[in-house]
Formats: sequence, structure tokens, C-alpha cells
Amino acid sequence: MYQTSDIRKGLKIERDDAPWTITYFQFVKPGKGCAFTRTKQKNLLTGRVVDITYKTGEKIAPADISEHTMQYLYNDGELYHFMNTENFEQVGIPGEVLGKDVTDFLLEEAECQVLFYKGRPVNADLPNFVDLKITYCEPGVKGNTAQGTSKPATLETGAEVQVPLFINEGETIRIDTRTGDYVGRSSE
Amino acid sequence: MNAAGLRVRARVLATTRAFFATRGYLEVPTPVLVPSAAMEEHLFPLRAEGGLLRTSPEFALKRAVAAGLGRIYEIGPCFRGREDGPWHGTEFLMLEWYRVGAGLRALIDETRELVQAVEQTLGVPAQPWREVTVRELFAEVCGVDLATASASDLSPDDESWDEAFFRRWVTDIEPSLTGAVVVTEWPASQAALAQVRTDGAWPTAQRFEVYYRGVELANAFFELLDSSEQRARFMSANAARLAAGEPPHPVDEDFVQAVGRMPVTAGIALGLDRLVAAVAGWEGIDRGRVH
Repeated sequence: MYQTSDIRKGLKIERDDAPWTITYFQFVKPGKGCAFTRTKQKNLLTGRVVDITYKTGEKIAPADISEHTMQYLYNDGELYHFMNTENFEQVGIPGEVLGKDVTDFLLEEAECQVLFYKGRPVNADLPNFVDLKITYCEPGVKGNTAQGTSKPATLETGAEVQVPLFINEGETIRIDTRTGDYVGRSSE
Repeated sequence: MNAAGLRVRARVLATTRAFFATRGYLEVPTPVLVPSAAMEEHLFPLRAEGGLLRTSPEFALKRAVAAGLGRIYEIGPCFRGREDGPWHGTEFLMLEWYRVGAGLRALIDETRELVQAVEQTLGVPAQPWREVTVRELFAEVCGVDLATASASDLSPDDESWDEAFFRRWVTDIEPSLTGAVVVTEWPASQAALAQVRTDGAWPTAQRFEVYYRGVELANAFFELLDSSEQRARFMSANAARLAAGEPPHPVDEDFVQAVGRMPVTAGIALGLDRLVAAVAGWEGIDRGRVH
């Protein structure tokens, strides 16, 4: 069990039959009262954020959570299959568990951090930046570098993103997976 | 270390000393190393060779009041173990003042005038002031009547009424406080060194706290003047400490006797690091301190 003094950002705890991660904490003690730690915590399954206050001395259950580096192999139409790069075990994760923010930028051979809760895969973290090829976009407009003008482009994963007008079909571009934004041409 | 932050604190200290000088208050420095550092259940004094480090200058200043000084103040370091966070430090600067013959009304006004003088010194807009009782706040924010609520009405996770009270206070009430708020009429179980009143709707401690933009700045007592009651409160806090596995506080018998010789007095303790930081609009006390 964790003590309140163990509370820090990123600590994974079990509460109400779900895993939560601490996103914010603050020690607080009223002058005439006992000490508490205020927290904000995010449900690792649903993303819901709640405020929870712990009294100093309270015990907190650790979440049965583990994280493994896994390589994305393929999608069989239903499941996204990953392989543990250490023990080569494979696991299939439904697309709706990963979420569109992950599957949009998931390319074969990408290395992800896959989160397991009670032995079940529940989420995957992509690298912050991925390089993806544009499979379709309208031809660029030469010389147009005005800010704020962009056009849609379809990536090799099937996702659509906004790119500047000077970017062409067949080019490889870099995407920030946390925001889904174009950041530049691939440097490779 | 933040040089600009230290200059801000120096200006607040100068303003504070000038404020008390013009009101006829005597500055009385008292010992930091003391035989008895606190009487409250939730204070954890630091040990030093030859004694303890004070958690506030209260016992010494009250002996000075009992010795005949009518208006005194002290600015000095105090120490509280197990307190560390953006608004807490193990060592911090306390301002404490006592005014013989006064009640809480006079002290509320004086505190407001001091805070407004500091706002003026730092050139920040004056916060609006509001006065509210603890019971009114719980009704307003939590929809609970403290006069009749049980511990489980307040919080299902706590057995002790006071702990349930403080959990709601920390979770719901404190984050709701904006501007400057004077909170009066606290539960009698949290009287500490204040007189208790039993002629109202429920027994209340004659004390107030001042919150400034959600930060607890000060705590004031209409001071207890009864030695045997003071000794009994020491004992009951120590019984609670023993039950929680904590060492009891040494009882300062000189202080207990002095309480019985004090005239009618109101006194207040104010965290100076917090006053500086809260008025300056900082996120915590660190910017005004040397590290």
C-alpha cells in the first residue's frame, strides 16, 4: 500500500475498481486541523479527471498496472496486434480501446508503450513524433506561403490532417501525435 | 533565489513595522528555543538541543501580556514539522500581535487595515472583504447545517467529526473562497486557546480566520483567561496525541499560570510569508524566501 507521502505526479493507484494516475497534488494543512493532500487524478480507462483529498496517514492501493515497450505489427480488421520487444509475446487490442488519436498515427513497426491493467492491455502511448507519408492531397500552390492557409492531406494510415499548401502528395511529413498537428517535412 | 521577491518581502516587513509603530505597539522579540512549543494536537514541534523550536510565539507573548504590556507584536521565525508544500514551510516567518481590552471586532478591523496597507505598498488592487460564519459557509457551499450534522453527514470516510469537517473544508470550502474572507464562529472542538460561547444555536469558539484569495493567512482568538480550562485543553490534546501514537506536548506551567493573570485580550497570528505571496499574487511562498 502507498502512504500519502508517496503521492507524486504519475503515481498509479487503484480506486473504485479502476486504475488512476495522479496528475496534480498539493500538501495542505488547515492551521487548526489535520494535514491532507489534495489530488487531481485521471482514470486510465476513461480519461475522466476527478479531485480526491487524502488525509495524512490514509493508505492508498497501488494499481495493478504494467507498461511494456511493444512493436505494432498489423491490424486484422478488428484487432491491432502488438509484439513485446523483450519476450516476443503478442497481444491484440481493439481499435476502440486504443482510440482514434492512437490508431490515426499508428504505422507498422512503430514502438509504443502499451499499458496493461490486471494483465489486460488498456492503452498505448505513441512516440511524440511520427513520420508518415502522404498518399493523397490536392497539388500545391507555388509561392503561396501565407500563414493560416492549409489543405487536407490523407496519410498512409488513412487519417486526414491539415498541411501547408506547399506540401505535395508522396512527401513524408512529421506529425505531433499529442495534438495531431503537422510540424514539418520529415528530416529523413 | 529571487532578488525581486526578497525586495517585495522587505517592503512588506517595513510596512508592517511602521503600521504597528504608529498604533503604539511594542515590538517584543521572544525566544525561539523553548521548553514547550505548542499545545495543539496537529502541531509537530522540531527538537533542538536543550528544548524545542517554537511553533508560534504565543506562550511567551502571553506571559508578556500577563506582565502588563497592553499592545505588543513580534515578527520572527517559527518551525512546524511535517508541513511542506507550496504554501507551507518547515520554517516560516510569523507575525503575532496582542491587544489588551479588545474584542474580535477590533482585531478584524485592524487586520483588514494591515492587509490593505500591504496592498497599497505593493501597488495591487484592494480585494473585496467579506465576513461569514463557518456555519453559513457550510450551508452555502455544502448544503449542510453544522449545528446538527454528524461526522458521516459531512464525510462518509471519516469517523472523527473534526476530521470530517476538515476534509470538507479542504476539499470544498477553501477552494471556493475568493477575495478576502473573515471566517468567524468556529466549532467549539477547535477552540485551541480561544474562549467558547454556548449561548448561540451551537457552541462556538470565539476565533476568526482570514483567507486571502483562498490562502489561510491568519488566526485570531478572543483569548482564554482561565488557567484550569487551559490546562484541561493541554491534557485533552495530549490524550488525543497519545491515542494517535504521538508524543504528548510538555505542559508549560508558567504559561498556564500566566493565562489566569491576563486581562481581556484579543490576539492574532499571521503567516508573513503567505501575506507577501498572496498579496503579490505568487503561486506559493518560495519566491519571497532565501534558499
